[in-house]
Amino acid sequence: MMANNAAFRHALALATIAALLLYWTQAGYFGMEILAEIAVFAILAMSLDLAAGYAGLVSLGHAALFGFGAYMYALFTVLWGWPASLAMVLATLSTGVIALIIGAVVTRVQGVFFIVITLAAGEMGYEFFFKNRALGGDDGLAGIPRLDLAAIGIDLNDSSVFALFLIAAAIGIYLLLLRLLASPYGAVLTGLHDNPGRLRALGLPVRAYQTSIFAFSGALAGFAGTLSAQHTQFITPDLLHWTTSGEVLVMVIVGGLGTLIGPVIGAAMLTLLRHELSNVTDYWGFWLGFFLILIVLGGKNGIVGWLSAGWDALRGAHTTELSTDDDAEKGEPSDAAR
Amino acid sequence: MHLPREGARAVSPRGKTVLADSSFWIVQILNSLQLSMLLFLLSVGLTVIFGLMNFVNLAHGSLYALGALIGYSIATATNSMWAAYLLAPIAVAAIGAVLYVLLIDRLRSAGPMKQVLVTFGLIFVFLDVQKYVWGTDQLGVTSGVPFAGSIVILGQIYPAYRLFIIAIGITVFVSLYLLLEYTRLGAEVRAGVDDPETASCLGVNVERTFFVVFLIGCALAGLAGVVAMPEFSAEAGMGVAILVPTLVVVVVGGLGSLKGALAGSLLIGTTLTFGTVFVPQFAGIIMYALLVGVLLIRPAGLFPARR
Amino acid sequence: MLRAKNLCKAFGALQVTRDVSLEIPEGARHAIIGPNGAGKTTLFHLLAGELAPDAGSIWIDDRDITRLPPNRRARLGLSRSFQKNNLFQRQSVRDNLLLADIAARGYGTRFWPRLATRRDAHRKAETIADKIGLSDDMGRGVAELSYGAQRQLEVGLALMAEPKVLLLDEPTSGMSPRETARMQRLIDDLPRSLTVIMIEHDMDLVFAHADRITVLNYGQILMQGTPEEVRGSDVVQETYLGGEVQ
Repeated sequence: MMANNAAFRHALALATIAALLLYWTQAGYFGMEILAEIAVFAILAMSLDLAAGYAGLVSLGHAALFGFGAYMYALFTVLWGWPASLAMVLATLSTGVIALIIGAVVTRVQGVFFIVITLAAGEMGYEFFFKNRALGGDDGLAGIPRLDLAAIGIDLNDSSVFALFLIAAAIGIYLLLLRLLASPYGAVLTGLHDNPGRLRALGLPVRAYQTSIFAFSGALAGFAGTLSAQHTQFITPDLLHWTTSGEVLVMVIVGGLGTLIGPVIGAAMLTLLRHELSNVTDYWGFWLGFFLILIVLGGKNGIVGWLSAGWDALRGAHTTELSTDDDAEKGEPSDAAR
Repeated sequence: MHLPREGARAVSPRGKTVLADSSFWIVQILNSLQLSMLLFLLSVGLTVIFGLMNFVNLAHGSLYALGALIGYSIATATNSMWAAYLLAPIAVAAIGAVLYVLLIDRLRSAGPMKQVLVTFGLIFVFLDVQKYVWGTDQLGVTSGVPFAGSIVILGQIYPAYRLFIIAIGITVFVSLYLLLEYTRLGAEVRAGVDDPETASCLGVNVERTFFVVFLIGCALAGLAGVVAMPEFSAEAGMGVAILVPTLVVVVVGGLGSLKGALAGSLLIGTTLTFGTVFVPQFAGIIMYALLVGVLLIRPAGLFPARR
Repeated sequence: MLRAKNLCKAFGALQVTRDVSLEIPEGARHAIIGPNGAGKTTLFHLLAGELAPDAGSIWIDDRDITRLPPNRRARLGLSRSFQKNNLFQRQSVRDNLLLADIAARGYGTRFWPRLATRRDAHRKAETIADKIGLSDDMGRGVAELSYGAQRQLEVGLALMAEPKVLLLDEPTSGMSPRETARMQRLIDDLPRSLTVIMIEHDMDLVFAHADRITVLNYGQILMQGTPEEVRGSDVVQETYLGGEVQ
């Protein structure tokens, strides 16, 4: 049961944060770039986990929302000259609105149709920005500014400061989501994944809730996009490409669907892996797909699932079995009643 | 989208504005038909498998690409396109059989999410395998292609090969219709789509039926690829480009029915062709709007086999 | 009070509900009985809103609820338990009950306060858990419970909503005699202001509790009346009560 493992996952989260911060103290220029990338994708992966792992809405086009947020930030700052802080807020909000519209439509259909339509929507988004010369087309947009925190003495143009800023943002988002999941709304989310029909029968307007979580997840993805734009300071439509959606999905699955810390671990692992393997092979995609297939067929819920099961096994060896009286009737309907 | 499309001309050679020029309409309608037929070949396998076994194979587009690439290799090796037309679908079906035994059979009871995830992973795998074997350039066959050149149809000059594609599509539709209506296999498929539990109780070997249907679906995807290849070239990325329109066709047309696949293909093929000509930037968005529109009125699609 | 007028429902060529009308006053204890396939659960689906009728209407007091989706009907006070367990499989007993409270009372939009601090919800969950005999199992996962305990929880979820009209679909199916006795006591203890409609095969339970019985067969009402009238009816004896009671 999830409740038993909450403490374990908190411990895992602390360990992950500690590892990231430790890496930060040691990292050179290239290490900072990797850390920044990990932090951004950690946020994106958490947003996907919220929709897919908790509410059960699997989106194969989440990168499109990520890229949309990045492009909106770039549009507001580079083309319209707005201040970065305002641009971040508006880019996040506008992505949320788009996600709300898509969610309102897409939650009308179930299961596989839903997944397929998110894929189609993602491709539409990619195509739009690819063909749109005003936003750079496939050449992309350059010269994207970072947030200006000079007023409080922080220079985000320093890559190590920026990396720390992003890590702090990721930690902040993680804590925020933890709080969200502990609330009644969070309980509804897990219930939605488990048995939406019963929730409806009990009085819950299921579609409204599904739409709202999709919108919130989208806004969060858009926020990650604004951070990504600030990190690389140059964006292309590839941000919205289905391969990016695929990578985020693998991060979530590898880490552990519905565990919140899993996707963060997945983001770290996959980013490091991609950088290592890209030096060795041109065929990163092959390995990505291969990993995904293996993990899904493997049965346990990603890394967190494996570690959690191992932890339970360790503990189980030390606790005595609790015997119960109704063990005899376990699981079978009694014959006498019929 | 790297879909086959015509270059648009705002003014026809005869100087009239495009909308008044009948040759423009004839050309674009024929183009729509040709794209629709390719989409049909791809979507019909996917929709019957989906409707029959509730299994979604996102790697279906990759099989299309494989058909084109394998067809290219066969054509250049044997110098015969007809050999390619015959052997490529068989090769793709064989690959499909391997996939089925290794992965798909295991996933049948696993639920839609796992199926989606695994077949999505397959897309990545196939893409890189294709890049590894055939490289990343566009590959085309220029010699020995049947129906080369143009013929005059409805007073309009039009590439004969595209008419060949349309003819293949119609032939396949008719063959499948006859297969479904008049053969035992067809009856089993219809029963299985309608109500798998009852069909199974009545002695239909639903497992075997599904395997055969799956192989036919793969073969058709391969056929679409090899047939499209001389006209539109083959490259590793073509599978994903065609996947999204194919999925939209399946959703719009309704699961499990031949009629739905045809209707969906015609609708999407026409939308994409005319959309690309008139508003190229928004062609994809129009298709998406169409998808949304249909779903709002008919959440199960236009002609689902099972309501 | 709950009223259904001339309900009809067909699936393709199969007419599952034929012209069913019911009038159930407040506080009634109404039972619906009939052989398997008579359309009892379908009737419940129509009343609760899971299915839309082809014809006819449904009313709660003066309110026409025929077009309302299930969640709106639930908010109007209609609650049901299901014939096949319809629980939140991956959660604990406590979480199941809390979810029912959130859904019924509509505070699922609160995303800041911790659910753990909602004392009223937790107290209510404990009260209901006590009624259904699951006080010691609050922390256990649904999958760990015995079938009978799951059935109890199934009814418990419906009770969390503090309904005005309660539809119980075969609440004791698959239960041991001890569990059935507990369920009987629970039904006995339900407030008299609550209207209870029960689908049941257990005739002892039906005749002990119901003040009126509707007998369904092939989607139609065979007869309606008091337990004595039903027991004494020849038609009912032939089609249902005589011979094997399932």
